Amino acid sequence: MSTLTKILIVLLTLSSIFLCGIVVTYVATADNFKQQNKIFKTRLDAAKENEKSAKRQLNENIIKNQRLEDKLKNEIASLKGEFAKLQAKLDEVEREKAGLLQKVNSWTSITKDFYQTTDKQGQLLKNTLEELNRVQAEQIKQRKELNETTAAFVEKMAIIKTLEAERKRLLEEKSELQSRLDQLLLPVGQVAAAPVPVTPKKDTARPAMPGAKDIALQGLVKKVDLKNSMASISIGSADGVKEGMKFHVTRGDKFLCDILIIDVDAEEAVGVLELVQQQPKVGDSVSTNM
Amino acid sequence: MSPDGQNRGGKIIASSNIYTALLALVFSVVLATAAFVAYKCYFQYGTIFKIP
Repeated sequence: MSTLTKILIVLLTLSSIFLCGIVVTYVATADNFKQQNKIFKTRLDAAKENEKSAKRQLNENIIKNQRLEDKLKNEIASLKGEFAKLQAKLDEVEREKAGLLQKVNSWTSITKDFYQTTDKQGQLLKNTLEELNRVQAEQIKQRKELNETTAAFVEKMAIIKTLEAERKRLLEEKSELQSRLDQLLLPVGQVAAAPVPVTPKKDTARPAMPGAKDIALQGLVKKVDLKNSMASISIGSADGVKEGMKFHVTRGDKFLCDILIIDVDAEEAVGVLELVQQQPKVGDSVSTNM
Repeated sequence: MSPDGQNRGGKIIASSNIYTALLALVFSVVLATAAFVAYKCYFQYGTIFKIP
C-alpha cells in the first residue's frame, strides 16, 4: 500500500467522522415540523373559531350600537326640544331679572331718599323734643308760680274773710252803740249826729278793662267777611292788640263801623263787626281812637 | 507485516490491519449516521423518502 493511499484513508476517515457528526448534530437538533404543524393547525382552528365568535360578537355589538344610537338620537332630539324650552325660559328669566334689577335700583333710590327723609324727620323730632322739654320746663315753672300765686290768693282770701268778720263785728258794735246813744239822748230831746269817718271811703277794686284807648293803635282792614260779619286787621299781638279791644273803622273822615277783637295772632287780629253804618272794605283804616 | 503486500498463491492479504480498521470504522460511522437520519425522518414525517 502506497503512502498516498494511506493518507487518503486517514483523510477519508477524518472527513467522514466530521461530516457524520455534523449531520447527526443537525438532525438531532432539527425541529419537529410535523408536531409544529399540528400545533399551528390547532392554533389556526382556534383562531378561526375566535374569528367566528368575534364576528358574531361584532354583529351583536353593531346591532346593539345601532339600537343605542337610535335611542341616543331620540334622546338628543328630546333634549334639543327641552334645551329650546329652557333657552326660552332662560330668556324670560333674563328679562325678569332685568326688570327686577331695575326695580331694585328704583327701590334702592327710594330707600335712600327714605333714609334721608327719616334722618331729617329724626332731626326734626329731636328739635321738637328739645322744644317740648323746654316748654315742659317752662310749664313746670309757670305751674310753680301758679301754685305760689294760688297759695298767696288763698292767704289773701283768708285775710279778707277775717277782715269781713271784723267789719261785721264793728258794724254790730256800732249799731249797738248808736242804739244806746239814742236811748240816752231821747229823754233829753236830742239826736246823735251822723258820724264822720276819718279814713276816706275807697271804691271797690275792679279788674281793668282791655279797652286801652290810650294806646292809639292804628292799622288797616286786611280782609272782610260780610256773610259772617267779621273782618281781620293788619296788626296783632306783636303791636299790642289783645282780645276784647274795640277798633273804629274809618274811611277818610267817615265812620264806618266798629270791630270787636275776638282772636289775636302775632301779625293780625280778627274781630266781629259792630255798629255797622257802612260796609267796610279792604284798606280802610282802623284805630283805637277816633 | 510488510508494507508491500505480496501475492502469495493468488490470495489477497491485507498489507496493514490498522488502515482496514479505519475503513471499517468509517463505514460503520456512515452507516450509523444514515440509520439515525432514517429513523428521525420516519418518526417525524412518517416516511423516509417522500415529502409529506
